[in-house]
Amino acid sequence: MKAALFSSVPYLGEAPATWPVPADAYSAEVAMTSMQLALELFQLADELGFDWVTVAEHHYAPLSLTPNPAVMAGALTQCVRRARIALLGPTLPILNPVRVAEEVAMLDTLSGGRVIAGMLRGTSNEYVTYDVNPAESRARFEEALQLIVRAWTEPEPFGWLGRYYEYRSVSIWPRPVQRPHPPIYMSASSPEAGEFAARRRLGVGFAFTTVPLAAEAVGHYRREAARAGWEPDEDQVLYRVAAHLAETDEQALQDLEARGSRPSYSRSNRAIDDASAGAGYYGRDTERQRSRLQRHGLRERIELGQLLAGSPDTVLAQARAIHQVLRPGVLEVVFEPVGREQTLRAVELFGTRVLPRLREL
Amino acid sequence: MAEATFEERFVEADGVRVRYLEAGEGPPLVVLHGAGGLRLGGAHHLLAARRRVIAIEIPGFGAPLAAPPASMPELALTVAAAVDRLRLGRFDLMGHSFGGKLALWLAVERPEALQALVLVAPAAVRPPGRPPLPEDPEQLHRLLHAHPERQPMAPPPDPPLAARRRELVARLIGPPREPALEARLPALELPVLVLFGTEDRVVPPEMGRVYRSLIPNCHLVFVFDAGHLPDAERPEAVAALVDDFLERQQGFLVRRRSGLVHP
Repeated sequence: MKAALFSSVPYLGEAPATWPVPADAYSAEVAMTSMQLALELFQLADELGFDWVTVAEHHYAPLSLTPNPAVMAGALTQCVRRARIALLGPTLPILNPVRVAEEVAMLDTLSGGRVIAGMLRGTSNEYVTYDVNPAESRARFEEALQLIVRAWTEPEPFGWLGRYYEYRSVSIWPRPVQRPHPPIYMSASSPEAGEFAARRRLGVGFAFTTVPLAAEAVGHYRREAARAGWEPDEDQVLYRVAAHLAETDEQALQDLEARGSRPSYSRSNRAIDDASAGAGYYGRDTERQRSRLQRHGLRERIELGQLLAGSPDTVLAQARAIHQVLRPGVLEVVFEPVGREQTLRAVELFGTRVLPRLREL
Repeated sequence: MAEATFEERFVEADGVRVRYLEAGEGPPLVVLHGAGGLRLGGAHHLLAARRRVIAIEIPGFGAPLAAPPASMPELALTVAAAVDRLRLGRFDLMGHSFGGKLALWLAVERPEALQALVLVAPAAVRPPGRPPLPEDPEQLHRLLHAHPERQPMAPPPDPPLAARRRELVARLIGPPREPALEARLPALELPVLVLFGTEDRVVPPEMGRVYRSLIPNCHLVFVFDAGHLPDAERPEAVAALVDDFLERQQGFLVRRRSGLVHP
């Protein structure tokens, strides 16, 4: 199994648990420190042998200071020397797909062909950001993705006569280094997304979920892939999990308890989530999709496979348990922001004492 | 754009009685069908709201001929002679699949007769080693469309007529790459629009790049989520694009649609 280090590049200061989050409590100094720590984590992960470092797109909240993950990935091409740089990803339905194709091609060129192109649909609140109807997000996502692949692979200038996008001439420079194009991943928590990924032979990632729910979703994806006549590579399934490691289990749990629980920004505005749900954003199993975002306590998060917490041995056992159920090729770890030194130590413990043994799985 | 009613008419050329369907007023647009015979898609009806659309039944695809055409260039000249008899002046030409290849022959043989050329899923360049189209109408229907369940199935032609069309296409279509035709494309000065459905399973859309690379003034457009008959599966989109291209030719690259949200 491979390992990725994901950071949403969180803002490390205090802020209210609403969405959108007003900027009156915002401090430029805290933001700069937060970004520097994230860059340090990514570099440390690279040095420790993590296979990927991952950035993502979120808006209007201290959860993430990377509304354009391509900008952060651009910085990473210059300080992450060996690991692949994964965008998981641009939020396609709210973006200009030609621009996304160009940015990923630029990053692939800057990084010497190390980019992973995760393409996401966005959380229920994300459509408010750039004024897009969430009811159209799935159709936009599917069309945008096909347009992006065409922009990467078509040697002649072409026009695109879509339902949501129309271009009279597309011919991007630079082109991706990886041929035919960088590996593509998408979220496949909903059955519709699993079916689309299986039809298009794309990799899938599971985040903001639980191991039992991801097990059902990955099973659905693998069955649909078999029906479409192919079998996903091991690396085409990614599972994202939070983590904190310390020398002992007690210390790790104590660090986490001292920090308290984080607000969940994507659904903290109930009116927006209800309106998106009402518009059909969640698809054919709305209730289950909404329940996977439910908040849990520490012990429950560990049991549900949302959190690895403890000493390196304990975390290895927890990671093995996840592997046994989901068989992901990539375990993507989000280190809990429990304070600068503790977090850096947790990454180091994972990299030196867990990662080498994960490779055997 | 409103639906138009097409009327059946005939014209004599080269001793052949050529059947055609016509609707609309405005600049003339001559349409050449594919291997399945004379067919009008939703886009043709929409185009007839602003243009005089003349959909020709390619000689040999309807009533039997005393002397069947020996080659594509010969057939193209017969079609050109029939159009000459209609006294349209210079006209726009739109060819589908087999009719796209025929339209391309007509364009290289008689470029002075044309204003602009639209090729929809043209069959002049094909990957090697493809099996012929299935004879079973249901199988064919599924192969032609990205969403066969959304399209009405055309009534199957009489088996002898279908067999005669298949024989004609097999004899005339030519090799997957035709050097005699391709050698003449770099000299074609007409504005050309090539359309391919992204889900075309008869002629892969990747063939479109060959036209773009050979013809100096050629524009390639992919029609998202359409199969081999984008005029039927995405009629509004195809009609609007073709109409804009025929009106402004290469100027169609610059959009005129307003982005104003509120005045």
